[in-house]
Amino acid sequence: MSPSTESTTQTADQPGQYPDGVIITKNLSRAYGDKMVLRDVNLSIRESEIFGLLGPDGAGKTTLMQVMAAILDPTEGSCTIMDHDSVKDAYWVNSHIGYMFQGFALYDKLSIEENMKFSADIRGLSQDLFLARQERLLKMAGLYTFLSRPAGNLSGGMRKKLSLCTNLIHEPRLLLLDELSLGVDPASRKELWDMLHESRDDGVSIVVSTPYMDEAEHCDRLAFLHEGEVLAIDTPSNLHSRCTGHVYELSTDDRGAAHNALVAHKDTLSIRHLAEHVHFQLHTENYIAPELEATLKQNKGVIEAVESSLDDAYTMLSGGEKSSAYAERPPKIHLPERLPEGGLIRTEGMTIRFGDFVANDHVTLEIRPGEVFGFLGANGAGKTTFIRALCGLQSITEGNAWIGGISVRDEHRKLRNHIGYMSQRFSLYPDLTVAENLSFFGGVYGLSRSDKKKAIDWAVGVTDLGDVKNNLVADMSGALNQRLALACAIMHEPAVVFLDEPTSGVSPAARYKFWQLIQTLAEVGTTIFVTTHYMEEANYCHRLGMMHQGRLIGVGKAGQLIQELPQEYEAKNIEDMFLAYIKIEDQRIDDERVV
Amino acid sequence: MWGRLSALILKDVIQFARDKTILGVVFWLYTLEVLICGYAMTFEVKDLPIAVIDHDRSVVSRNLIDKFTLSEAFEVSGYPVNQEQAESWMRSGKVKYVMVIPNQFSEDLRRGESPGLQVLLDGTNSNAASLAKDYTTAIVRAFEAEFSQDPNQAATTVRPSVQIWYNRAQTLESFVVLSMIVAAILMVGTIHSAASITREKEVGTIDQLMVTPTHVWEIFLAKTIPTLAVGILAFFPSLFIIWWFGVPMKGSLLLFLFLMAIFLVSAIAIGVMIASITKTLQQTLLLCFFGLFPVMFLSGTMTPIDSMPAFLQPLTLISPVRYFMDICMGIFLKGVGIAELWPAALSMAGIGAVLYLIAGWRFNHNLSS
Amino acid sequence: MKLHRLFAVMRKESREIMRDKVTLSTAFLFPVMMLFMFGYAISLEVEDVRLGVLDQDQSPSSAALIDAFDETPYFKLVRRYNSELEIRDSMEISEVKLALVIPPGFNALVGRENLPQVQLLIDGTYSATALVALNYGMSIVSRFQERDNKLIKIQTRIWYNPSLQSVIYVVSGLYAVIIAAFPPLLTTLAIVREKESGSIQQIYASPLTVPEFLLGKLIPYGFISSLQLASIVALGFYWFNVPFNGSVGYLAIAGLIYVFCNVGIGLLISTVTNSQLLAVLLALVVTMMPSILFSGFVFPIYAMAEPVQLYTHIFPARYFVDVSRGIILKDAGLTEMVRPLGLLLGYTLIVFFSAVAIFKKKVA
Repeated sequence: MSPSTESTTQTADQPGQYPDGVIITKNLSRAYGDKMVLRDVNLSIRESEIFGLLGPDGAGKTTLMQVMAAILDPTEGSCTIMDHDSVKDAYWVNSHIGYMFQGFALYDKLSIEENMKFSADIRGLSQDLFLARQERLLKMAGLYTFLSRPAGNLSGGMRKKLSLCTNLIHEPRLLLLDELSLGVDPASRKELWDMLHESRDDGVSIVVSTPYMDEAEHCDRLAFLHEGEVLAIDTPSNLHSRCTGHVYELSTDDRGAAHNALVAHKDTLSIRHLAEHVHFQLHTENYIAPELEATLKQNKGVIEAVESSLDDAYTMLSGGEKSSAYAERPPKIHLPERLPEGGLIRTEGMTIRFGDFVANDHVTLEIRPGEVFGFLGANGAGKTTFIRALCGLQSITEGNAWIGGISVRDEHRKLRNHIGYMSQRFSLYPDLTVAENLSFFGGVYGLSRSDKKKAIDWAVGVTDLGDVKNNLVADMSGALNQRLALACAIMHEPAVVFLDEPTSGVSPAARYKFWQLIQTLAEVGTTIFVTTHYMEEANYCHRLGMMHQGRLIGVGKAGQLIQELPQEYEAKNIEDMFLAYIKIEDQRIDDERVV
Repeated sequence: MWGRLSALILKDVIQFARDKTILGVVFWLYTLEVLICGYAMTFEVKDLPIAVIDHDRSVVSRNLIDKFTLSEAFEVSGYPVNQEQAESWMRSGKVKYVMVIPNQFSEDLRRGESPGLQVLLDGTNSNAASLAKDYTTAIVRAFEAEFSQDPNQAATTVRPSVQIWYNRAQTLESFVVLSMIVAAILMVGTIHSAASITREKEVGTIDQLMVTPTHVWEIFLAKTIPTLAVGILAFFPSLFIIWWFGVPMKGSLLLFLFLMAIFLVSAIAIGVMIASITKTLQQTLLLCFFGLFPVMFLSGTMTPIDSMPAFLQPLTLISPVRYFMDICMGIFLKGVGIAELWPAALSMAGIGAVLYLIAGWRFNHNLSS
Repeated sequence: MKLHRLFAVMRKESREIMRDKVTLSTAFLFPVMMLFMFGYAISLEVEDVRLGVLDQDQSPSSAALIDAFDETPYFKLVRRYNSELEIRDSMEISEVKLALVIPPGFNALVGRENLPQVQLLIDGTYSATALVALNYGMSIVSRFQERDNKLIKIQTRIWYNPSLQSVIYVVSGLYAVIIAAFPPLLTTLAIVREKESGSIQQIYASPLTVPEFLLGKLIPYGFISSLQLASIVALGFYWFNVPFNGSVGYLAIAGLIYVFCNVGIGLLISTVTNSQLLAVLLALVVTMMPSILFSGFVFPIYAMAEPVQLYTHIFPARYFVDVSRGIILKDAGLTEMVRPLGLLLGYTLIVFFSAVAIFKKKVA
């Protein structure tokens, strides 16, 4: 696939001040040392549009944003912002744009109003203008009632909204928003996008970067970034239509056989193992080679053509997934005696309190061996506490939990050989190499020398780490670290694997591989417990549990949960469904309070 | 279990070896800092800048001034024109001492009329001032003896003969060099072990370890051994500095290394203890920084234990540095052996053991609360 | 430079400091703690040095000499020996630090032409202490039955610290050291923290200019640090009884220059580092250590080797030690302090403008 250039040619009848584009980059490149982070980027961003930069972590989104904000100089090429050069006129650019950094760029000790005032003061806004705009913006963001609350006491979503408001106070013509929805709950995300649409309608040009495909759908136009290069620039619907007729779903009894048949066939672009189906993409349009179709239809296989997603488009444009064989099953090694009930997880009224704060409120749940269970919830809903409790890292205040029939409360030491834990932060030793990390974790699990070799070879094979064995972890990308963290967590063949937001910010291809491996592990009877607030990951889970303010507000298969919603709620996807359940729960609490 | 332990130790050894910053800091503390302090830290009174107002301007008065110039203690750095200027020099710190030789000093002296020699001393540095006073007396009495050519004149009182044992040259360097090395061992042991555990907390690997079958004591042991090894190895370059400053080595080096290992372990135990309290690297550094001051202060290095307020004296018993300073001075300067030093060694080991127990309890307790 | 922007940064910065309980308590607690620790820890006086005596004379004169030792606060008689052999053993186990040996016939010789000799044996290991103790000992012996047929009368007057208390010396020097240690650390961390979290990008991508941003940090932190200085000077005066003989106004002027110099050094360090750990290490190596060793606060500069003396001129603490002692203890006027104050002022300006030149509104 060659990068699309058609969209850089500007329609002449575009009204406004910058007919050639608010931002124009010409052959823009940026290197850090020997490493090219951006390569020959050519794009033009129009007036009053929302332009999305989509790509996994490490694709160069942030670097491009920084160049556009004139706080980073390009190594080669140029970037012109509102007719000003980003290097020569950096100060002018700084003064005339709004730029929102991906973290929380607020002053925690200052109140909402003081944060707004600081932003206005450094731009010389008059007091009257400031008060008027502040009222309008904060009312829109639903923050006007908390004027004197310190920013540090706000939730992630509120903070992001406030950040956005501080950037809108001087009514810039151009807004650059890096990873807008990082750490934001689904409800606030929706409000943020409403604000953006309103600003766009007022004539503001907006650039948003995100690794999330579902979010990219909200943009007017998108640029796919892949390893520093622009793969395509187009509207989301045009990008979708590029792979219409290429995408299918297969339900089969033998995923392994189907997978390997697909891998072997030259037409295959990508394979994705969802909870119920195998989702695959072919090079050919509206055509499945007969021999492939025949093989897939064995084992009660049913193929169905389906609508494409941006994931599919991204995979296609980035050259497809370098498909590898269905992950091998774990090798036979000498293991400590298995748990009496295998990987069965059971909690009964499990409650965890930190002082007055209830992190987990009477959670009762059962997860069967071989099941991939997804735990949905916003930041702070209590997901991580739940996992930590099951891992024995957090003591249980009330109730109890059992893994494989062993009480977590009383005998968690006994469980340590039987659980694998992959934390959100990929807790690896950054100053050790891949091989050293693996060997270390093999060692602490007490594997014998020959078993350790077998287990490491298997883990390296299924996670595709063979080429980077001697690389230092600190020098590797997030995607590689994520695979290594998984390898370390499964090497000792645990009965239960806990995954805390395992694939956010990872490229689609890498994500597909990851979930395929999870599928293999589930097939050998491993219980997989995944927490996420990233709805895409929910597609891979057999069953879902939803957590809100420490309480479990719904458990079941995704389809079933959507069906069970009362009629007044309409849910097209998992995100809508999740928001609906939260709304119902909040309603219930309000009702209780009235009573 | 051995497999697990060796995996843990190997990991910590690799991490230590790859951390160039820490290795740099260790090298700095053990050698360069010792060297700098050896040269900079001095309590001696040497070359004290003095001003002289000579109202007499005779051969005799000049002879007296020469006596001061020739002494090691003083250095004449100027002749102010009048009292006002001299006082201004004193205020600005240019000179610390003003000597005023009165009019007719030589004549009065010859006539035996006991002329008065005025000395103005800047008492700010109390120690230097009192020494300067004694040196002045000694120089003036020697001058008298020479002047009257009567040997008895000079020695009019009981004369003490002084013998300084163990540090005959009475140079401060031996003391400074040894105590800075002790400080280096303490800092490396405490800060490295504390920082490496806190870093695991920050990266989250400590949780990862806690879900494996690893025991807390295994983690402690794995943190102790590499720090211990580096702490001991780093001492060998310091031996060069010790030699450079001419510090004698009267006792057994082997015994010293053995006792140093015990001291290091107790220092590491302080670090482990700190890491069991803190959550971030910044907290750890601050706590180390301010925790080590009292440990050093209570050692008797800076102030002799006997001179401390009575309520503080028993507290010195819990500072391992107190015992190790005695060991250090004992082996290097006095040449004593294990027969005299075993109580000190045992005390250090005891302090270390108690700290490890508390830290281990805190780790296990935090985990299950 | 636009004043409204500078004020905006200053307002924001002061609010943050005022509301950050941890930083605020650190800012005021640590200097006070350090003043206390060092004020008590570094004592150049010795008291109750353990003394052993071998009295081979057993006469009234020898008893008088022993009393002369024991009566002073400096020595405490803990052991009487019967033979010289015992002395060595007792010193080896540090039972005594100083031993006095009075020879037979001491009584008979006192006051005669033939001079009696007494021996002082001292454990030289802790030589800082040993030196002081020895001098006390020698003075006591020398003054014992001193005759007064001196040819020259030495009239000594001791100024500024007539009672020769070492605590006055140490504490008055600590002011310079403490201000060299904490304000730079605090300032550096304040900026590097923003760099580490990345939130400083928000400042880069705004109309703030570099001088506005840096001055906006410098002034509030300078103000806080001035309060630190005031608090430790007050503590020195009220708790440690360090006399204040000079002009408060002069000290305020000199103190402000010195404080801003150190805050400026903090700014400069923050422009060249990106991690908090490195910032702390740098601040310690560049400011704290040298200000202890090379400022003359307890280790006199004049006694150091020539090249080391030259080296001390790099560190601003060196100048302020003289300035603060001059104003506080010696009632020095500004004219006498023109040179060090001028140098400090120049230092401050160079440091600040270097920081402005190095600080770039770019992430890399």
